[in-house]
Amino acid sequence: MSWAAHQFEVYAVEAHLPKKMVGQISWFAIFFGDFTPDFLAKFWVYGFNFRGRHYGATKPYQWHRGWPGMGISHTLFFGILVTLGIWAWKHNRAWTIGFLLGFSAHVLTDVNDSIGTMLLFPFSTLNWSLHTWAYAATVKGGKYLDAASYFSSLGLMMDLFWFFVVLGSWRVLSREFWRTKVVPADPHAWSWLGQWLDDRGLLALYRSVFFYGVCRMIAWTTWAHLVARPIINGVRHNGYPFDLSWTGPWWVQRVSLPHVTPLIVLPMALILLGCVYFVANAIWERMESGSIRAIAWRNVRRNTR
Amino acid sequence: MTEPSPPASSAPGSPSNSGNATKPGQPSKLVDFLLYAGAAISYIALAIYNKWLLDWIVGPFWLVAWVWGLPALVKLVRRQPVRPRRGPYEAPQ
Repeated sequence: MSWAAHQFEVYAVEAHLPKKMVGQISWFAIFFGDFTPDFLAKFWVYGFNFRGRHYGATKPYQWHRGWPGMGISHTLFFGILVTLGIWAWKHNRAWTIGFLLGFSAHVLTDVNDSIGTMLLFPFSTLNWSLHTWAYAATVKGGKYLDAASYFSSLGLMMDLFWFFVVLGSWRVLSREFWRTKVVPADPHAWSWLGQWLDDRGLLALYRSVFFYGVCRMIAWTTWAHLVARPIINGVRHNGYPFDLSWTGPWWVQRVSLPHVTPLIVLPMALILLGCVYFVANAIWERMESGSIRAIAWRNVRRNTR
Repeated sequence: MTEPSPPASSAPGSPSNSGNATKPGQPSKLVDFLLYAGAAISYIALAIYNKWLLDWIVGPFWLVAWVWGLPALVKLVRRQPVRPRRGPYEAPQ
């Protein structure tokens, strides 16, 4: 799984929207799209302890990304279903396309760990994984071992990559961008929040996901390498050892699910990313007329009551 | 959640015409910077030893609490209004 990368990619998507969608996609929708897969699946991955008993998935990796399990929450198929539901409910393209882009970003980023995601579900239940770093959520190790492993491996590099992608388009974090591109795309949501928060508070709210990403990356990395004193293979270490090799770190037992050959994963992920952007681009104008028709019908229904 | 439309003229949260300039009586960019930096340093320092703070609700809330909440608290102490007051929207020139 990826950690801060999921926070950074919200801004990366916002900063790299197709030209005709700039200033018209809801930032909240991108956020919720990116956030939904782990919101649905992750709580039970780590589980919780109550009166000395552990409640949670017995095989976290199977539950998180496998089939049967909640692996469906990390599939483009599920993202498209929810996207269609949002469109059927609200006929709002700012939210519909925003959700789709955010969700796709999450699913495609998660092909990097040793579990990957079921990219072609429901046509195939095989997982697509690049095995860039080891998936380390276990019942025994919990969240701490998972974090230590991720921030000692190429996972940290993935977070840094997305961090620098956002920094490369730093204007996305500026007040000016927020005023001119983010608020007009979703005026009602920002207006509603504006009942309680002034502009400074609203801007802080917009930046808060990036803030959280940066802080959790620094805090977990610091803890894993400067504070923790793990015992690995009977030897006490001052901090978890870094291992930036492929499918590292070496000190974590690597788990995997039935998967396709890693050689075709990157091309397929890029093709699917291209498909998502192509489809979103192609239906964008049609959605506007669909939305106008839906609003007109709603007004007709209201007037005939 | 409806189709995007131009911000209402006096709707809360609608972009004002102030651009990046600081209005008289508004805290400067330096104060903003210090609030963001304070939020980051305090959050990281505490979260390293209290990892329950590293949560997707607490993290964003922490920033908003610092950047908006602290100045609001100061205003409250000074008996100034905390809730945003919106004037009529002036179109950018």
